[in-house]
Amino acid sequence: MDLSGIFDALLTIVGSPYHMLLLLIAVPVGMFFGAIPGLGGKLGVVLAIPFVFGMEATAGALFLIAMHSVVHTGGAVPSILFGVPGTGPDAATIVDGLPMTRNGEAGRALGAAFGASGLGGVIGALFLLAVLPLLRPVVLAFSPAEFFLLALFGITLIAMLSGDSLIKGLLVGFFGLMMAFVKLDPQTGIQRYTFDMLFLWDGVDIITAVLAIFAIPEMISLGVAGGAMAQVDKVTTSYGLAGVFRGIGDVFRHWGLSIRTALIGAFIGMIPGLGGDAASWICYGHAVQSSKTPERFGQGAVEGVIAPETANNSKEGGSLLPTLFFAVPGSSGMAILLGAFVMLGIQPGPGLALTGMDIVWVLIWGLMLANVIAVLMFIIVAPSLGYLSYVRGNLLIPLVLALTFLGAFLSHMAWENMALLVVLSVLGYYLKKYHWPRPPFVIGLILGPIAEDSFHKAMALWGPAFLLRPGAMIMLGLTVFSIVFYIWRLVSGKNKPEQTHAG
Amino acid sequence: MRKMITALLALVLVAACTQESGEESDFYAGKNISYIVATNAGGGYDTYARLIAGYLQKYLPVDNVIIRNVPGAGHIVGANTLWRSKPDGLTIGTFNAGLIYGQLVGSDGFDFDLRDFAWVGKASGEPRSIVVSDNCAIKSMADLIAAEEPVKFGSAGVGSASHSDTMLLASALDLNVDIISGFTGTEGEMSMMRGELCAILGSTSSFKNFIDAGYGHFILSIGGDMEGVPHARDFAKTETSRRLVSIIDALARLGRISAAPPQTPDDRLETLRAAYRASLEDPELLAEAEKIGIPIDPAYGDDVRQLVVDALDQTPETVELIRKAINGGGQ
Repeated sequence: MDLSGIFDALLTIVGSPYHMLLLLIAVPVGMFFGAIPGLGGKLGVVLAIPFVFGMEATAGALFLIAMHSVVHTGGAVPSILFGVPGTGPDAATIVDGLPMTRNGEAGRALGAAFGASGLGGVIGALFLLAVLPLLRPVVLAFSPAEFFLLALFGITLIAMLSGDSLIKGLLVGFFGLMMAFVKLDPQTGIQRYTFDMLFLWDGVDIITAVLAIFAIPEMISLGVAGGAMAQVDKVTTSYGLAGVFRGIGDVFRHWGLSIRTALIGAFIGMIPGLGGDAASWICYGHAVQSSKTPERFGQGAVEGVIAPETANNSKEGGSLLPTLFFAVPGSSGMAILLGAFVMLGIQPGPGLALTGMDIVWVLIWGLMLANVIAVLMFIIVAPSLGYLSYVRGNLLIPLVLALTFLGAFLSHMAWENMALLVVLSVLGYYLKKYHWPRPPFVIGLILGPIAEDSFHKAMALWGPAFLLRPGAMIMLGLTVFSIVFYIWRLVSGKNKPEQTHAG
Repeated sequence: MRKMITALLALVLVAACTQESGEESDFYAGKNISYIVATNAGGGYDTYARLIAGYLQKYLPVDNVIIRNVPGAGHIVGANTLWRSKPDGLTIGTFNAGLIYGQLVGSDGFDFDLRDFAWVGKASGEPRSIVVSDNCAIKSMADLIAAEEPVKFGSAGVGSASHSDTMLLASALDLNVDIISGFTGTEGEMSMMRGELCAILGSTSSFKNFIDAGYGHFILSIGGDMEGVPHARDFAKTETSRRLVSIIDALARLGRISAAPPQTPDDRLETLRAAYRASLEDPELLAEAEKIGIPIDPAYGDDVRQLVVDALDQTPETVELIRKAINGGGQ
């Protein structure tokens, strides 16, 4: 690899006040788009395109990549503080982030989220570097057959997230899967459970479902219980900078987990078609699975914040790979970035490796720097954010409910989603009230369509023989291992995990 | 005092009117126009609308032209929303001309009649083409027509433009194809690179990166002519097949259409059409479009209306063929 080229690119950024200024503007803008539910990075890039239109390629690309790569850093904030996910991939952060806030550890949770996001972003960029030579075979190894089995593997994680009752977890998970079938059947065009309502043709909106299952029940129970989000007697030390630094420290204390989930995230990001929602839930499941004390999850385990947050930032580095070198975007956000790159005069495709590596290095450095800058910026404001968890419920609830309804509307620009929000939040409330686990619902809803769609494709392409493909056998082995591991854990040691996973 | 100010304001207004081209552009002064886009932010329709919106602002005395993304149900929600909008000349919208298929066969969910929209114009056609992967044994149309084994084509799913077009073309040219649905975005291109799918019929411009990267090549064009690539009409031998090909062709030529709600007052519609025309003929817009890589090939007003009306004028036999084709013979 051309070392001088790599460091020249760094110098291009750091040595130019103009480029650094662009980074400093892009980072808070990106985090803003992440933190407001329903906006998201895709819309951010679309709205930024007119501003970068006149810029030269390096500056424009740097601005866009910096903005796009820190969206999920911002998205973690409302997930942790109010149980309102800023973006879909930040939803998994709620499961342990919100209980941490309730335990008076909002500062620590925010610190862990920022640290994890920053580390994830940097590892994602390094992953991009490392995989460059093997890119083509690795990406092309994933066909619909492997997608199907990967989704199936993800669905087995429901068992890990079921807490004290596997039956309850499975029931909720199956209910999520059932909701995933509400849409126009992609194979036949027949309406499934849409009741002649057009907004259901594209399926149940995930952001709306997550808001209904997590955010609204939290607000109801906060209203009923009174007090503030943090259910501790007095303001603890943990909302100050000390808590934030403790959270950042946690990321490095669990360094094995952080690095693993960052790599899984980058890997999933690299394969077009799976998406960030799947990445963060699979990593969350992995954190529970690999923990020695899985019963702590859902009660405010810091690892439950670290895993999804490393993954949703590292996937950006991963998904940049196929976007740049195949001109095949790794995610819908990347598809828009791709269009913007072309507009700036960058021509993605295999030819880029020969002619445009300097711009690739700039993008990699931009990705890393933006993630680091995002962490530094957030450390400054984290204590005041953490203080929000001590605001009285009756002041907080109206604001959060407004955000929730806004998010449900904006995510699909359909008022009907607000009605759906109300209906599903009844379900969410009772699940919470009777301590049924809620994460399986979201897993079913997210992975159901991937499983269905790729199963159809794999069957159409190869028939049942798709299970015999080498990649498919590996994924199948992983799934079996995951189930056996779960059973072994039930049988050996403790009789069963004692705690609920109701979150 | 207040009376004097009002009088003065009125005077200024009158002066402004006489200076401007007429009363109707005066109606637009200080108002906002909504431009409904039937997809999420970021797609092709959105790109065209955002580009044109900037220039409409230049040619109309409005404050802003605001993009409203109304996605859902394959452009139907957006078209329904435009249909129900107040016909005051302050709302226009853009959606997929492929809805013509749906109206022809009477699909669910259509509140509108495409004939009755107040058509403003089209920015460009959306030529289609068949691209074959280099991993595939099919190298030309001759290979495709002679294929004994079904050739694997990808599509987004029943109801999508790619699916309807592929089904219609296959039935027009009697092609032996096996359509595999569920390939949205660029998943189809990935699948071709893996050697699973052999070909896709889709929007020519969407394949640009794939072709430039050297993963495949075009074997057929429709809805626009491409140098060195045969057009579908060259292969249509019978009356029925010519009919079907001409429908796909007409829809592709319509492409990026914009309309106002039905019963928009004529004078305001004319103002909108004039501004739309001025925008699409603006050299700056053309330069910008070239830079972002989207073609501009406009038509205006009644010409576009006529194209839509013609496309909807089909014999019951042809409609039956279309119904069979886009429902996959299933329903």
